[in-house]
Amino acid sequence: MKRFFSAMLSAALLLSLLAGCGGGKDNASSGGSTDGGSSADGGSGGYKSDLIIGTAADINNLNLQEQQDAVNNIILKTTHENLVRFTNEGTCVPCLATEWEYLDDTHIQFKLVENAHFSTGEPLTAEDIKFTYDMAKDSYVSSVLSNVLSTEVVDDYTVVLELEKYDNELLPSLASVPVAIQSKAAYESGMEEPWHVGSGRYKFDDWVEGQFCRVVKVDDYWGEDPGVADSIEFRPYLEASSRVIALQNGEIDVCIDPPINELQYLEEDENITVEEKTGSRLFYFAFNVEKAPWDNQTLRQAVACAIDRDAVLQAAVYGKGTPQTTILNRGLWGFYDDMEGFDYDVERAKKLLADAGYANGLSTTLLIANSAPYTNIAQVVQANLKEIGIDVEIQTVEDATLKTMCKNGEQELYLWRWNEDSKVDFVYRDLYYTGSGSNYHHYSDPHVDELVDIVNTEKDEEKRMQAGVELQEYLVDACPQVPLYIANLVIAYNKNLTGTMLFPGGNHDWSHAYIAQ
Amino acid sequence: MIRYIIKRLLLMIPAILATSLIIFVAMNMTGGDPVDSLAPENATEEQIEEIREELGLNDPLLVRYIKYMGGMLHGDLGVSYVTKKDVFATFAERLPATLKLACSSVFVATLVALPLGIYTAIHQNTWKDTGGMIFALFGVSMPNFWLGLMLILFFSLGLGWFPSGGYGGLRNLILPAVTVGLGFAALITRTTRSAMLDVVRQDYMTTARAKGVPEKKVIFGHGLKNALIPIITVIGMQLSNALTGSVLAETVFSWPGVGRLIVDSISKRDTPMVTGSIIMCCILVCIVNVAVDLIYAFFDPRIKAQYAKKG
Repeated sequence: MKRFFSAMLSAALLLSLLAGCGGGKDNASSGGSTDGGSSADGGSGGYKSDLIIGTAADINNLNLQEQQDAVNNIILKTTHENLVRFTNEGTCVPCLATEWEYLDDTHIQFKLVENAHFSTGEPLTAEDIKFTYDMAKDSYVSSVLSNVLSTEVVDDYTVVLELEKYDNELLPSLASVPVAIQSKAAYESGMEEPWHVGSGRYKFDDWVEGQFCRVVKVDDYWGEDPGVADSIEFRPYLEASSRVIALQNGEIDVCIDPPINELQYLEEDENITVEEKTGSRLFYFAFNVEKAPWDNQTLRQAVACAIDRDAVLQAAVYGKGTPQTTILNRGLWGFYDDMEGFDYDVERAKKLLADAGYANGLSTTLLIANSAPYTNIAQVVQANLKEIGIDVEIQTVEDATLKTMCKNGEQELYLWRWNEDSKVDFVYRDLYYTGSGSNYHHYSDPHVDELVDIVNTEKDEEKRMQAGVELQEYLVDACPQVPLYIANLVIAYNKNLTGTMLFPGGNHDWSHAYIAQ
Repeated sequence: MIRYIIKRLLLMIPAILATSLIIFVAMNMTGGDPVDSLAPENATEEQIEEIREELGLNDPLLVRYIKYMGGMLHGDLGVSYVTKKDVFATFAERLPATLKLACSSVFVATLVALPLGIYTAIHQNTWKDTGGMIFALFGVSMPNFWLGLMLILFFSLGLGWFPSGGYGGLRNLILPAVTVGLGFAALITRTTRSAMLDVVRQDYMTTARAKGVPEKKVIFGHGLKNALIPIITVIGMQLSNALTGSVLAETVFSWPGVGRLIVDSISKRDTPMVTGSIIMCCILVCIVNVAVDLIYAFFDPRIKAQYAKKG
């Protein structure tokens, strides 16, 4: 028996030792501990030295050209820069390029800043631009530069891109994270993980998967407005309630995507600011138009009239959003939402249903992802469609399965979302163009394809706008999808946070942010 | 004894083969193409095909499985589709957190359950016994994500004693260990009580008392010692559970363990990461089982003699 208790005692001692020693790396290196919250040690000029951001997802890959998640993007935006920068006013402004001009319809020339350098100290030149774009053309993200045929170095600070065709949205494409400029010298030096080297205000410091990723300020940043906080740490808190409590406790300074049903606790806290603005994520109900009976346009319109968007909005996000008629994400160029569309009208829905030849109703299946808000939306839609005699069976699957099933055209009806805050072509072409991989509606219409091409390539702004409005009106009437609502962007943070650059799509820029003291 | 251990370790080979095959087939049957999660939303068919070719997804399932096992024979568990990192290295990075949480939660559970189980057994059919069993029922029924959140609200937000989450030292460990441990404590309490009840009715206990042995020594020296085998079994089982099944607590407390890694990889259809991690978990569970067998021998000379005979 003594042996048993000595074994237990030894286990206790061993465990205490383990616990005491463990996490040393985290604690020692995080400039503050995970437990004490953001220690107000202060920088030299009235700001807290570290900024800690609680993310809603795990950071999974920091190689720019192998990833596409917002959680990675917000880190990479602090360490890397592009030729141009997309502002939250919806325009592109110079960044690594000082100016640009179209030499002709298919050639665009960029002049680069001459004093930019990477965090390693190597100067950033035209060779790095060519290296990055050539590498991107051969990577997972090659679609970002699908219209770029080649990159030619004219001199150290001038590059010319040869395009397949004139493209109204080339600049927003060049402002995206996957094509941020990387260092050719870093790759050629044989260093491990050379993609960490960028020219941004911060440089990569440490990443422990599942725990944190930290970037530190570049002391000799080449630009005129360097970062303020000495370091920015991104910590995943997957459970939303834990993230909220961590913010209230002061363990983190920013809580990304706080749960809507817990906002009141944050709003009541005098040390926290809750910011809410119109987002760009459009949630929609959609049809596989290749599959009968949903190839019937009138039947689709009947369904559109039967859905109560206000009820959907309430059930999905407690009303924190904007119901929408058009198929384009709010805030994008040419957004137009004044068409008649199909408002909630049960009598009109019943009439359209009869006109479509289904006066006695029908049964169908709605495919959804097994997460909020889809499960909530599906229940409202199911009840709405029941009112006009359509029996809906809800089929719940994981995101990955839903995407594959939709791509293969196995679904009848489905719920999905599309998030875009910079390029209209990323909406029109990807969702509605004949044969596009993301065209889960399996929609195909030569007139739509033609209008999409005009919006993408027409130089005359007025003609382009006309085509855009016509395209939206046409698609709302054709009804391959029923737009439901745009969810608000909600974020909560320490009331002393300054310098935020929030984007409706979630790809925020934290490189100017700090906690003032 | 050594031969017995070697035999048990060799039995891990068919277990690993069966596990890997089941995971491969299951991941293939769940639906959802990993490429759809990896490729950008606007990737063309050609790009998708290139990625598929690069990852070897165009090969038939059996060919992929044989290739994977071939790599494993050389110690290569593959490379994650998502992070592009070596699966073994990623698992090894997460393992200390999992071991720390698993050991500490089982320790908490044992610390609570063993005295409570003995206490309820020697006070059978009294209000003390009923109270202990209500605690056990509460522990079994309580979802640990709920308990975790309640503990965070009370001890972290309310009292400010512990951080709400994150990986670190002892202060970070206490709430997750208590959350997972209390669930385990319930089962260990019930097993301890039941094993002790069997023992306290034995003749040798009566004899010991008749000989004037003090009650404490009767219970702990004669009773508990003979009741330990089922208790050790259930503690071993809980340790195996904790190694792989603490995913909810890991999520609530932002604890970077193996469970969270596996669940996240499943949702991304990251087959190499899922397969490699589960194989490693399988090995860990086998090792725990062997360790439990050895502990039997440590406490019971009859079992030790049996091993020696078989070995």
